[in-house]
This record gives sequence, structure tokens and C-alpha cells, in this order.
Amino acid sequence: MLKCGMSGSQVKVFGKAIQALSRVSDELWLDPSEKGLALRSVNSCRSAYGCVLFSPVFFQHYHWSTSVEVNGTKSNLNCKLGMKSILPIFRCLNSLERNVEMCKIFTRSDKSKVVIQLFCRHGIKKTHNVCFQESQPLQVLFEKNTCSNILMIQPRVLAEAIVLFTSSQEEVTLAVTPLEVCIKSSTEESMDLNSSVYSEMFVGPHEFEFFQIGVDTEITFCCKELKGMLIFSEATHAPITMHFDFPGKPLALSIDHMLLEANFILATLADEPSRASSPQSLCLSQKRKRSDLAVSNSKVGKKDNKAMESISRKVAPRNLYADEILSNISTLENSGSPIMKRVNSDTEEEPGSSSLRKVKEKH
Amino acid sequence: MKFRAKIADAACLNHFTRVSCMVAKLARTCTLRIRPHTLNFILADSAAGGGVSMWCELPQENFFSEFQMEGVSEENNEIYVELTAENLSRALKTAQNARALKVKLTNKHFPCLTVSIELVSVSSSSRMVTHDIPVKVIPRKLWKNLQEPAVPDSDIIEANLNGDLNLKIESELVSVTTHFKDLGNPPSASENESEDRSPEQMAEVQVDIRKFLQFLAGQQVNPTRGICNVVSHKMVHFDLLHEDVSLQYFIPAMS
Repeated sequence: MLKCGMSGSQVKVFGKAIQALSRVSDELWLDPSEKGLALRSVNSCRSAYGCVLFSPVFFQHYHWSTSVEVNGTKSNLNCKLGMKSILPIFRCLNSLERNVEMCKIFTRSDKSKVVIQLFCRHGIKKTHNVCFQESQPLQVLFEKNTCSNILMIQPRVLAEAIVLFTSSQEEVTLAVTPLEVCIKSSTEESMDLNSSVYSEMFVGPHEFEFFQIGVDTEITFCCKELKGMLIFSEATHAPITMHFDFPGKPLALSIDHMLLEANFILATLADEPSRASSPQSLCLSQKRKRSDLAVSNSKVGKKDNKAMESISRKVAPRNLYADEILSNISTLENSGSPIMKRVNSDTEEEPGSSSLRKVKEKH
Repeated sequence: MKFRAKIADAACLNHFTRVSCMVAKLARTCTLRIRPHTLNFILADSAAGGGVSMWCELPQENFFSEFQMEGVSEENNEIYVELTAENLSRALKTAQNARALKVKLTNKHFPCLTVSIELVSVSSSSRMVTHDIPVKVIPRKLWKNLQEPAVPDSDIIEANLNGDLNLKIESELVSVTTHFKDLGNPPSASENESEDRSPEQMAEVQVDIRKFLQFLAGQQVNPTRGICNVVSHKMVHFDLLHEDVSLQYFIPAMS
């Protein structure tokens, strides 16, 4: 169960995290643990994942415990909220920061509700009861430290680059060499008067706080989630670190702060060799599809040696590539793709005890 | 066909950006005409646009520190290209802290107006930003549709010759009239001035208020002088002059 409290200025950061995650998806998991309160979000086509973990010292007070079920098993809070319910509570963050003296969040397991109380000036108290859906959070495990390319930059610089791209342009390309970094519009083959402007911006290595380029590469990803991350980083005044490799391998955007840790993992477009059989698909236009973040249902118990199944779904990106097929179950050895696993409750239990409780959920 | 120009002064860049934003509010797609000494933004009247047309002229020397152009041919030393006005204004808006801005006509797979900006970052190092704005070159045979519209031989200038202008709206429930008095009447350029016109007699034209609003909302550059010409029951013509930039806008009467 969860019980925590924060001050007005902390509410602002908390609200910004929610706003940033709302760019990823319409649903949010509230996932408390001994490490702190994690807010998680995954988009419907599994090409973007966001997680903001607030450490216990971020809050004025923070209490967390597992609840004990009727049959004696312990379970975490499996709480999924709709963004539509929670986003309006954290609107107008500047005025919240000024007016809110204390914000308390706690859960009521008997009613599947999260209660958010805002104690404002002049004795005003606002209470929001938000129903939640029982759902185990998804978590991405991505070894960002094994990436060849690591860049750390102040959010303001990235924000200046992003403003060049209009909302009609969904994807941006990041091209790096040891000498320079270029952020540019994702090019399409045929452009005409009705196409968008092609923009590019060069940033020199000296503008980065940390610059390591192990492999020259160009990766293309969705702008929308990057914007979400930028919103949040400006609130924390902390630099953003980007970990990435070759096209197809996800891009991790992270913020490491004393009191919190944010990670946004975005799938990038993978190069796929053009299908030689069809005469129309000449080499000029490479069929590209977004390589997906692998999702897995893990059944890990200490004695359980079953290999993790990982379902790697190659989902067509939003607009152009309509004829992609879903299938492909590949194993964990599929290099480079991050693994998503369900955060399970078994880690502290005795080996051999009850396996993961599967929760029925909607997809 | 060649065109390259450079703006090095922050105030000129700002002014040019504002003109471009104003054009973007008045026209979705417009024609850019480049001549050795002037730049024009032109919106020719069309049924799709509701008959509205716009003509904006800037003397290039007041904006550009460098300006080179070569037209289609020697006798026709002009360039006409069509572009989406908002693309240009948005690209210019990103040049807020620019050290220099260069614009040139390029052909990268297709014709573009390429805007290159040298931004100054906080660490005072330069950062290069480039925008390729797709354009369509307008062939010479269509140029005649894009000439400066003749100011019509209006019967009346300024609503009446006594300097009164009335703006009136009428609906079923209410009628509101705003009276402007003591406005000036510019001297008539026409030689066929109808002498028998009584100074008090009003000329009136009924126009779509949305088009009028669109014109007013687009104003980002405060004009030093504005002239309103009314051709009775036909159209209204606005001629705004701000220092060196002139903007003419025609709204036809409602049928």
C-alpha cells in the first residue's frame, strides 16, 4: 500500500512527470516499492516506454508496504490509472506550486481507489478519488551502459533543436559522428510543395557535457516522446543522457538526479534489406519498420529454470507501412532489444512458493 | 535562375520575420516574386480564396546586406515561385538569435528555398541550422496573372469626400455602426474624377466580415499610413504603408 506526501514545489515536479508520461500513453501505472514510487507508461504499439522513479527522500513522507492476500500471498499495488483521470488534477502546475501546501497520496485497497488530497492555502482541501484498474506494471530492462554512443546534454539545447520541427513531422533523425551531431527531419523519398520543410541542426561536441561516440550512426525515432521528456527535464534542471547504438536498437533518454530517476526508452526505425523478389522495391526506398521493444511475461522464481519467453512483436509504425505482419516469437538471445518484464511479487518469497499471479487485463 | 541573399542585421531580420508572419496569416499559399530591387508576396484572387487578393512589396535594399539574383532570362529578369507561407515564417522565427541568415534558391531533388541560419548559442559558439522549404517554380506563361493589381478608378475615396467612414454590421437583432470622422482624403490620382459627386454622398460595399477580420488580425506591422478605397458595391481595397513595406489587400463585395 502507498502513503506519501509532498510539498507544493514537489507537486510541480510530480505533475510534470505525469505530463511527460502522458505523451507516451493514455495509461499510467503507480508502482511503489522500497526504491520509491515509480510512475510507468507504455504506448499501445509498445514502441515507447517511460518511467519516472521518485526516491523515498523526494517526499515529505513515504510509506509503502505489500498487502497480504486472503491466501497468504503478498502482492504489490498493481495500480493502473487513466491519464484522463489523473492529468486534470495536475493541471496549472505553476498555480499548484503557489497554492498547495501539502499533497497527500494514498491508496485504499478495499475500494481500488487512489486518493489524492491537495491541502491548499486559505484552508481549502481538494480530495480526488481516482479508481484504478488492477494491472501489473510493465517494466523495460535495457542495458543502457552497454551502448556505444552516450551523449549528455542540457535540455535547453535539445529544446532549441526540437522547436525546429513542426508537429506534423512525427519523426526526427539523430545522426552522429565523432566530429558532430546532427538533428534533422526524417526524410521521405518524394517531396513536393505540400511536404513539410526539411530542417537540420548541427551541434558541436563541445556543447555536450559528455560526448562518447563509438559508432557513427543515424537513428530515427518519434519526436512526441522526446518532447515529453524535455518537458520533464526542464522542470528538474538536470541534463539528459542519451544512450543509443545502431538503428533498430532502442534509444534511452535518462535523467539521473539525487531525488529521482527518469528513463524514456524509445524504439528506433530499423533498416531492413529491401525484398529482392519484388521488382518494384528497388533499392532506392528501403522498407523500414520500427523495431519493437520486446515484451515478456516472466515466470521467474528462484527454482524456476524455465527460459523467459520473449515475444518480439514487430509492429508497423503509425502511418506509412501498413503491410507489416505481426508474428515472430524469438528468444531472449535476440540481441539488443530490451526486455520488458512484469514486475512480479515473487522476488522476496521462498523458492517454490506460488508462482506469479496472472492478472487479467485488457490490451 | 539564381537567387542568394543575406541578412546580417538583427533589426532587419526581425522586420522581415514579422512581414512574413503577416503574410502567413493572410494567405496559405502565396507567390514570391524576386526582382533585382524588390521582393513581392502575392496572393492572386481565386474563387477558392473567396476572391480576396493581396499584394505586398518590399524594397530589398532595406533588408538584405547582400542580394544577387538572376531571373529566368535577360529580358525577363524575374523569378516567381510558389510556397506555403507558414513554412517561411516558421523557419524565420527560429532565427531569433541569429548572427546571420542566408536565403537561396536551391535544387535538392526538387526546388527549395533554403534558409541557412547561424545561431549563437549561450556558450557563444555557432550552431548551423538549415531549412529547406519546398517551392514550385511558376512558369512564365502564368506570370500575367500575378501582376500588380491596378487601383480601380474608384468613384469615391474614403467613403465620402468629407472624410467620414462608417463601418456597419447588421443582424436580425442588432445593428451597430462605428463612425470615423475627420479622416483625410488623399488627392485623387484619377483624371476622371467625377466632379458632380457630392461630398456627403456615401459609397458603400458589403463584405464578408470574416475576410475583413482575417485581414485585420494579420496585421503585425503597424502601418504609418492606411488608405481604404471603396468601389461602390464592388469591393474594398486597403493600402497600408509602413516605412518601406507596402501591403495592398482587396476584398470583393458579397454577391
